[in-house]
Amino acid sequence: MVDPQHAAWSPSPFLKAWDDYVAASQEICERLKDPNANGGGSIPLPIFGAWQEFAKSLGMQSDLNVGASFNPDAVVANLAPALGWSRDYQGIVQRMLEIGGQFQRRYAEFLKQSADISEQALQATRRRIAADPRLALSPAAAYEAWIESAETTYAQAAHGEAFSRSLGELCNLLSAFKVERGKLLDALARHLDLPSRAEVDSLHRQVHDLNVAVRAAASRPAAGERKPRRSRKPAGK
Amino acid sequence: MALHEQGRAALRALREIGDVEVGQSEKELLYSENKIKLYRYAPLARSLGLPPLLICYAMVNRPYMLDLQPDRSLIRELLFLGVDVYLIDWGYPDGADRFTPLQEYIGGYLDRCVNVVLNKNSVDALNLLGVCQGGTFSLCYAALEPRRVANLITMVAPVDFKTPENLLSKWVQHIDVDLLTQSGNVPGELLNLLFLALMPFKLTQQKYVNLLQVQADRAQLENFMRMEKWIFDSPDQPATAFREFVQWFFKENRLLRGGLTVGGRTVLLSKITCPVFNIYAKNDHLVPPSASVPLGAHVGSTVYDALGVDVGHIGMYVSGKARTTVPPAIANWQLVRQRDRQAHK
Repeated sequence: MVDPQHAAWSPSPFLKAWDDYVAASQEICERLKDPNANGGGSIPLPIFGAWQEFAKSLGMQSDLNVGASFNPDAVVANLAPALGWSRDYQGIVQRMLEIGGQFQRRYAEFLKQSADISEQALQATRRRIAADPRLALSPAAAYEAWIESAETTYAQAAHGEAFSRSLGELCNLLSAFKVERGKLLDALARHLDLPSRAEVDSLHRQVHDLNVAVRAAASRPAAGERKPRRSRKPAGK
Repeated sequence: MALHEQGRAALRALREIGDVEVGQSEKELLYSENKIKLYRYAPLARSLGLPPLLICYAMVNRPYMLDLQPDRSLIRELLFLGVDVYLIDWGYPDGADRFTPLQEYIGGYLDRCVNVVLNKNSVDALNLLGVCQGGTFSLCYAALEPRRVANLITMVAPVDFKTPENLLSKWVQHIDVDLLTQSGNVPGELLNLLFLALMPFKLTQQKYVNLLQVQADRAQLENFMRMEKWIFDSPDQPATAFREFVQWFFKENRLLRGGLTVGGRTVLLSKITCPVFNIYAKNDHLVPPSASVPLGAHVGSTVYDALGVDVGHIGMYVSGKARTTVPPAIANWQLVRQRDRQAHK
């Protein structure tokens, strides 16, 4: 419950949701003990209402709202630190959300670069057609002009540092997300008593090492036996 | 015909074609290990009496590109010219291969395949044809085992990975390859996307629009579908070997700058003393000429020849110009080397 002495303090949406959830749970407990408590009546189940409000505050809509968008930055900013028995999983999800937010930002930058390239390509095509109006007479010729202009414009941008860096960062963020996702899946495999990635990797390493050892042993001559000399004709007949 | 009618006709024609066959030249499986297979192709002409030619293809694509269809097959052309052709198929790596290092591919699988070919032919050395990334592997192998390679041919093989025209290399510099491979093998789909992004308008738009012009030609449509099959048939890349390849070659350019070791042994291009024939594509957007041409200045060979063909990277395998130029050049070059060798005895 919010301390009245600190009424001016505004808790984060997460803490408010937690507070409301606890209060709602307490009310249900009291009503279960004494059905006439709090005016009687049917026992409401407002437990999840608090979390629904929290989700809404982060931009997550319970209905399909085309205008709404998930804002991972807002989620990350309002998350509590990973605590309790599930803290490992909380940590993984937090990292996935952080990476998701970074990816959204980088992808938006990349899309802007791509849009700029398309616009420049269009201008280049217009210049090309203006220089040779015959191109406009045939759809095939005009299309060829567009393709050539687009590839030339694209190549100039793609060779640049900004484009290369954007592409690399997007790739690296996806790789990082995949690593975190892998941790979650490994945990799930463990709980379902399925082989985890770590177990399978360990087996692969052992099999590989065994193969190397067997091959090395097979190539050594037996004790007391000399390796036969290779007697061949030179290359070519 | 109106554009939309052309489009419908093209789609109908493609549906009628269905699945396509690739890599149909007759071959015999000589050796297999893990996912790797070594094939010998059935001869199609009287032998020229040359050393066996072992083709080492890239791991990032499937090798049936060299035998796409009967009239677009570098392998068939070589067979018709009397060359004894062998091919290493790296297969489709899976999770079990994620810890296999590059040394196992070059010093292990490739070396054992060479053994099989040498034993089968009772010779000390063979001719090695390395294609694209397989060309880089072949250079490493020839430097480590110079006695086992009589003649080396490289085709669209990158040697200098940091030239200004190399767009793929520029992009790779910003990719954290340790992070990329931390969660396992690199999906083939990612490589597909990367290759398409090098020329996105031509490779994702124009080639499909061009279908409208050939929709009545079944042979061209079948060829298109075979190319389509190959383009999107990129195997997953084994994590450790891929990480090492990207780090050592793309990022550190060790093949030229030095410091490259495979299986604890130093790889020096200067240790390659056999004759070398370097074939490159003048319009290659994937392995630009500047990435291949420097080879001549670094090998220790006294016989070094280069051939630039006016085609792109894919055109080197399947274009009409390449088909009439490259196989005869490879066969004739090997013949000349054979005669030189015999003359010096």
